[in-house]
Amino acid sequence: MSAGRDLRKGSAELLILALLDQRDRHGYEIAKLIDARTSGAIRFHVASLYPTLYRLERRGVIAGRWVERAGARRRRFYRLTAEGRKVLDAERRSWRAFFAALNRVARIRHA
Amino acid sequence: MHDWKALVAARLEPLPLDPARAADIVDELAQHVAEHHAELVSAGMSDEDALAAALAPLDSHPMVARDIARADRPRPAAPPPPPSIRGGIAADALHDLRYAARLLARSPGFAAAAIVTLALGIGANAAIFSVVNAVLLRPLPYADPDRLVMVGEAASNGASNVGYLTYVDWRDRSRGFDDLALIRSWTTTLPTREGPERIAGMRISANYFRLLGVRPALGRDFKAEEDTPSGWRVLIITDRLWRRRFDADPNVVGRVVTMSERPFTIIGVLPASFEPLISEHFYQRADMWALVGYDATLNYACRGCQHLKAIGRVKAGVSFEEARRDIDAVQAQLRAEHPVDYGRHSMLLVPLKEELTGRVKPALRVLMAAVAVVLLIACANVANLLLARMAGRERDLALRTALGASRARLVRQLLAESALLALAGGALGVTLSAWTMPLLFRVAPPMMARLTSASVDGRVLGFSIALSAATVLVFGLLPALRASRADLGATLHGRARTGASAFGRLKRTHYTSQLLVAADVALAAVLLIGAGLMIRSVAQLVGVNPGFDASRVLTMQVALVGPKYATDEQALTTVDRLLARLREIPGVATVAAASQIPLGGNGDCSGFHIQGRPTATPAEAPCPERYGVTPDYFEVMRIPLKSGRVFTTADRADTEPVLVIGERTARTLWPNGDAVGQHVRVGDHASGPWRTVIGVVGDVRHAELAAAPTMQMYTPQSQFTDSFLTIVLRTTVAPTAVAGEARRAIWSVASDAPVYEVAALEDLVARSVSPRRFLMLLLELFGAVAALMTAVGLYGVLSYAVAERTREIGIRAALGASRLDIVRAVSIGGLAVVAAGLASGGAVAAAVTRYLEGSLYGVAPTDPTTFGATLALLFVMAAAAQSVPLLRAMRIDPAVALRQE
Repeated sequence: MSAGRDLRKGSAELLILALLDQRDRHGYEIAKLIDARTSGAIRFHVASLYPTLYRLERRGVIAGRWVERAGARRRRFYRLTAEGRKVLDAERRSWRAFFAALNRVARIRHA
Repeated sequence: MHDWKALVAARLEPLPLDPARAADIVDELAQHVAEHHAELVSAGMSDEDALAAALAPLDSHPMVARDIARADRPRPAAPPPPPSIRGGIAADALHDLRYAARLLARSPGFAAAAIVTLALGIGANAAIFSVVNAVLLRPLPYADPDRLVMVGEAASNGASNVGYLTYVDWRDRSRGFDDLALIRSWTTTLPTREGPERIAGMRISANYFRLLGVRPALGRDFKAEEDTPSGWRVLIITDRLWRRRFDADPNVVGRVVTMSERPFTIIGVLPASFEPLISEHFYQRADMWALVGYDATLNYACRGCQHLKAIGRVKAGVSFEEARRDIDAVQAQLRAEHPVDYGRHSMLLVPLKEELTGRVKPALRVLMAAVAVVLLIACANVANLLLARMAGRERDLALRTALGASRARLVRQLLAESALLALAGGALGVTLSAWTMPLLFRVAPPMMARLTSASVDGRVLGFSIALSAATVLVFGLLPALRASRADLGATLHGRARTGASAFGRLKRTHYTSQLLVAADVALAAVLLIGAGLMIRSVAQLVGVNPGFDASRVLTMQVALVGPKYATDEQALTTVDRLLARLREIPGVATVAAASQIPLGGNGDCSGFHIQGRPTATPAEAPCPERYGVTPDYFEVMRIPLKSGRVFTTADRADTEPVLVIGERTARTLWPNGDAVGQHVRVGDHASGPWRTVIGVVGDVRHAELAAAPTMQMYTPQSQFTDSFLTIVLRTTVAPTAVAGEARRAIWSVASDAPVYEVAALEDLVARSVSPRRFLMLLLELFGAVAALMTAVGLYGVLSYAVAERTREIGIRAALGASRLDIVRAVSIGGLAVVAAGLASGGAVAAAVTRYLEGSLYGVAPTDPTTFGATLALLFVMAAAAQSVPLLRAMRIDPAVALRQE
């Protein structure tokens, strides 16, 4: 059972928002970065990534647009909206609280 | 080079989106797959393997097109909120309602549960309010009815009756009334094509209809100069009788009808809208009125001949108390002038409305309170349903806030949803009550005057709408405020529920829910305890020995009036022949006649003057209920003889006058047990024979089963002859089976005698229980509805709690908590809530059941057995309602719970 399947949609959204907080990215890049930075613990593929992206876009948290550059493929880039930034901040806060709570109960950090 | 778009498109079902957007998506996915493929190839994989690997996710996820389409379209959980700028407030409200309707249509289970719950609450309220409206609230259908009063001396059952000469003095000497009228009972026999018909009527003074503000629709009113012993035979009839017996003849005025062989002239017909409430209340629903026709020469017009009732209209600007003090002074004068005729009672004015509705008011108040409680429970339950639903929609609401919806707007939209529920619930409720009203009439006690005129009318509709609106406020505001407060960060992601702040919030939700559940349980406990007390009362009452054996006895009333029965001898001969004929009917064992029977709805007490023991004034002499009976009466009724003997055929008009008394009379007046052999004058203290007490029989319950036996006496028909008789037949078959033949037998002897009110004695006994049975049935019904709602509410809240705490339970389980620990953790909360609800419900019930006291019989308002049994029953029910979610909690698999969203 891969970690990606266990990952609930919410944490995936957090990761996507965090990546887009740094700069605009396209879908494939997002998938690659999550794979690399979680050392493969969390993995997106084409069938799971795009529904998530579209859902976020639909909610107005991120916005996508097509960018064509000479000599490169036409790609859809996503950026974090102002709303998305607020949501990201709130998510970070509550995840911190969640980890603190888990830690108090299960002593994850110092076990 | 691969055609990536074609490869992707082939693996997606057609996207249910507009073609341009669909093409875009296929394009984007194709880019992704192409890049993935390129990377795999550059890492050394063969083209074929790389192609398969890049496309594998699409191959292994057949639903991907649906996922994409759903993510890309408006989220199904929340259609886009209506634009809030355009169109002003009315358009906004319409948008809100339409939006709410769409949301409700999406969760039909929730909507149905909420609407049905509300409909039950509102329906019960509408039905009972209709009754209250008809019986209590609607003004009496007379001119300025609030100034109409019954006038009399203060007696145990209200204003006393009055003698004619006393009335004349009251009328002429008092100054507090516009007018004072007189009424008395009257029944007569109208010859018709189908045989003689007994008509209930009323004898009145000439000013009666003017006093009520009623004018005949046809013909004229009575004139004062007609109100004499020779002139009183003029008739005003109801529209009903005019249509039924006179074919609505417009020339009926002036027509002469012969009743009891005397000519009566019809002078008027009342309007169809006239309601003969006063006759219905005191006597029977009248269909014709004639004048009283007394003057001072008549011996039954005496001051102490209290068989008339005075009804007055208090002058405008005069208070009831002023009018009362004024007539009290008149009565004091009369007492001084005629000390023999008056007791020492002060005067009493009873508002007519109070007189007509006073008896049913306490029961109706109890019912109003009961249905209000049902509605409260319904509201609490719907509030809980909404809370649970809101919890599921918090993300949606938070997102809408994030997208710029103002808090006020959100509150409005949630209120729109509640309003829609309340409206639908109200509409269904009113429909429900309209259907159940006829059933209500069927079980209603006969004494609820005007009940049958109850209908779901505009007022009731208004009341229900007001209730619905109030309900919206009660249950719409709570979740709306809570939801609009929901904090954005914590709600935008599902898992935030497990975050620290979310725990606190969950507790708050839970706290509100628990409070509502506790309130539900408490309210249901109050209702069920009330119902329990009524059930015990009715059970006790049904078990009461009325003092006679009601099984297999047929009763029928017969009137022997007119010149043919002018003398006692003529009447007695007829009765003897009549009883002999009845005795011949197969299936009839014994037959007797009586002036009145217990529980027959009549009362006839007479002064009881013991030889050698005069009271201060004759008016203070005891007044036992008198039954004028034929010898077999005691056998038919199976009233036991306690001492001495009962009447025989040897007790005749020309033998020693005799009297049989009831046990209570004997014990009260002759505590030493020496009643038999004493001499008593019945009625007038100064004239008439001294009657010898020859026997004492068991007491009977006369007015109603719940009332302890009063003083009673029996006179033989042969020595004290009555014209209105109740025939009692003890049968060996079902009593009503011989009714037809009995009626024909009576007519074969007295062809002009009306036979009426044919009933099995058992039914008369049952009728006496009917007001309490009515109250019991309705309380039972409301109690059952309340208990059911409470159980469902409890189940819902606990299911929700278990679902919400799945993660927490999973963590506990993972950390080594046993299943028993978990059950304890979850159920303690639930059972504690139930226990708290039961305790407060019990306390509230103990405080309020005393309002039932007047309707209870043989059981204290705080009867511990009823309280204990009811609370235990509710506890068991609550525990059962909890068991399903508890089992679910026990089966939670920690691994699944921790992973679950």
